[in-house]
Amino acid sequence: MLANLTLANIMGANATLAYVPFLHPLPADGVWYLLLIPMAFGIAVAYKGVRVKTFDHYWRQVLTMTAQTVLGIMALGAAFYVATQIILPHVAPMPG
Amino acid sequence: MPSPTREPAPFEPLAGILALALPGAGHAFLGDLRRGVHIGAGVLGLFIAGLLVGGIDVVDSKEDRLWFAGQALVGPIALGVDYVHQSQFKVPDAARPGQKRSPSPDENPKIHKSIGRMNELGMLFCTVAGMLNLIAVLDAAFPGPHVRRRA
Repeated sequence: MLANLTLANIMGANATLAYVPFLHPLPADGVWYLLLIPMAFGIAVAYKGVRVKTFDHYWRQVLTMTAQTVLGIMALGAAFYVATQIILPHVAPMPG
Repeated sequence: MPSPTREPAPFEPLAGILALALPGAGHAFLGDLRRGVHIGAGVLGLFIAGLLVGGIDVVDSKEDRLWFAGQALVGPIALGVDYVHQSQFKVPDAARPGQKRSPSPDENPKIHKSIGRMNELGMLFCTVAGMLNLIAVLDAAFPGPHVRRRA
């Protein structure tokens, strides 16, 4: 029973083989949007590493930029949802 | 009143080359080790995370040439990953002599070709890592006043 408790079984409904890092894609299709958080964090770590004048408040700035990126993309997603799913159907309704 | 003149940034070609060879090495060479470590951790962390998300298939100079142009900016590590991918995880294409293709699921080597969201995200992680390293390379080659430098 424990042998079946692989990451693939836990995370991927369609995954039939155990996840092999670097060879198989991560079986996380159902929660792909959560990968925005580590990506925003990695971008902030490198970008702030270049930009900050001193490292006194480095991690606070990294976390702030991560949050700003994630919230900004969430806001863009919400705006596009409203535009394409609510406003556009009223402005230009599809025939039929 | 005359506007204050800015000193042009000094040119450090060796630091730029080192930054391209290994993310963060350019700043470390200049004497700002801490900055170099943070840049290296961010760039290499994103690149490795991309490989973990999409598998080695996300770095492919033959099938995803445009994405690879950005990924190659990570440096020799990206070129090495692509070399391993092309040489170890592809099979000869019978339809196109001299060309290689990704193996189908019943062929060896056993590698899952990543598709869909995971492939897109993995490629994005690795390409963003390369683009961030380009910023770091430029900052190492033309260090601003905030970069701590050896006396």
